[in-house]
Amino acid sequence: MLNIQTRQEGTASVVSIQGKVNFEVTAQLRDVIRETVATAQPKLLTINLEGVSFIDSSGLGLLVAARNSVDKSGGKLHLCCLPAPVKKTFDQTNLTNYFSIFATEQDALRGA
Amino acid sequence: MPKGTVLVVDDEAPIRDILSFYLKRAGYQVLSAGNGLEALDEMGRSRPDLIISDLRMPEMAGDELCKRVKSDPATRDVYFIILSALDGTASRIGGLSLGADDMIPKPFHAQEVLAKVDSTFRLIEMQKEIKRQNKELTTFQRQVQEEMELAAALQMGLLPKLPGEAPGSRYTHRYLPAAAIGGDIYAILPLPDGCAAVMIADVSGHGVTAALISAMVKTSFENQVRLGGEPLAWAQGMNEDLYRSTLAEQFATAWLARLDPVGNRLRYVAAGHCAPFRIVGGAKGGLQRSEVLQGKGFMLGLEVQLPFTEHEAEFLPDDRLILYTDGLVEVEREDRTMLEEAGLRRICAELPAGAEAAADAVIAQARAFNQPAPFVDDVTLVILDRKA
Repeated sequence: MLNIQTRQEGTASVVSIQGKVNFEVTAQLRDVIRETVATAQPKLLTINLEGVSFIDSSGLGLLVAARNSVDKSGGKLHLCCLPAPVKKTFDQTNLTNYFSIFATEQDALRGA
Repeated sequence: MPKGTVLVVDDEAPIRDILSFYLKRAGYQVLSAGNGLEALDEMGRSRPDLIISDLRMPEMAGDELCKRVKSDPATRDVYFIILSALDGTASRIGGLSLGADDMIPKPFHAQEVLAKVDSTFRLIEMQKEIKRQNKELTTFQRQVQEEMELAAALQMGLLPKLPGEAPGSRYTHRYLPAAAIGGDIYAILPLPDGCAAVMIADVSGHGVTAALISAMVKTSFENQVRLGGEPLAWAQGMNEDLYRSTLAEQFATAWLARLDPVGNRLRYVAAGHCAPFRIVGGAKGGLQRSEVLQGKGFMLGLEVQLPFTEHEAEFLPDDRLILYTDGLVEVEREDRTMLEEAGLRRICAELPAGAEAAADAVIAQARAFNQPAPFVDDVTLVILDRKA
């Protein structure tokens, strides 16, 4: 089960995810991100991964696609609060150097 | 063309006549019988869509007729309406519990019967339509199933033939796709200089799309290897190939290597793939020292011109390489733990000699660890033993 919450912080949108991000739930997450980008057109999209216990390659693909679509609309994507297992996956795939990653949500929102 | 066929069963001829008159005038074909036995007899000759039957009749009563019609697989889909003088809720429930589809209390209005027959035929038509669509769906599903089986056989054909022989090495694989077909692929090619080129990859997602891309990954690898060069150049070329030919969320993790049995070295590039193990002297079997072939790198197909890094390691006679995809170690158990790299490494440090026996042992031990959870992602395991 994936729990997704979205909220606005000024011109930034924050998407918080809890649960396992794998192939079964990427469609659900993709819809939320797409809708957030389309309706709020945020200058900054922050995805808070604090509650994510596991992310597989489909989930990583989704985040990469999210970054590309935010880039195209002239915005930025920041990730924050990566738990250790997620951080490990990001390290292995070098995505730590592909995304702007912040330790806390405040940092992610300030780093715009 | 009649709207449908109704069998009217009643021992009182005037009732049969009135119902027949109204139903025929409304465009139905009408059959009639004086009791249950006659009705069964009539059904032996023709097939009504609907039976309207009285309850109390000589020879065979309506409840018995209803039971027989509804218990015979050949006739149980025929609609059954009971006409009953026994009014009141109790008898209605009694009639419906016999398996009748509806009841009309006596005395009845011919118009009421007609309205009920009309609505019943609308139901019958809907059911026929559903059955027809269901049949179409079943046919479609069977076709898809057959195509998937064909695709699965073709995909198996993309994998190296076993037993595998590469310059200076022997290898085998275990390939367990999550669906009929999967997104894992590997290849081992002999090179003109006596080395071997090795690639294992895991395409994001499952199923048909992932399988198609995995075939593309293999072709791209073969093309890059043919161009000569080192794993670094192969990774860069494959990255561009994949980036150009796939959509946003499609990419592959991969591990590429050149094995040099003369120089006793191997050069490799990790592209977001789980790090293989080198078991020093592992081909001899027994407990041996293991080494993780570490390396960080982007996945293939993410973005053009991403930097990749080449690494080097020793590769000695009797060494064993274990390559795998994450499906092998990422099964979540009931206690929410997974085998992970560390667990698999423990298993691989002590395996029997012979790649086949070793591969069986790895799969068996991984399954035993996951119990009762099954593998949920594509799983590929390749074991390559350097000859002595």
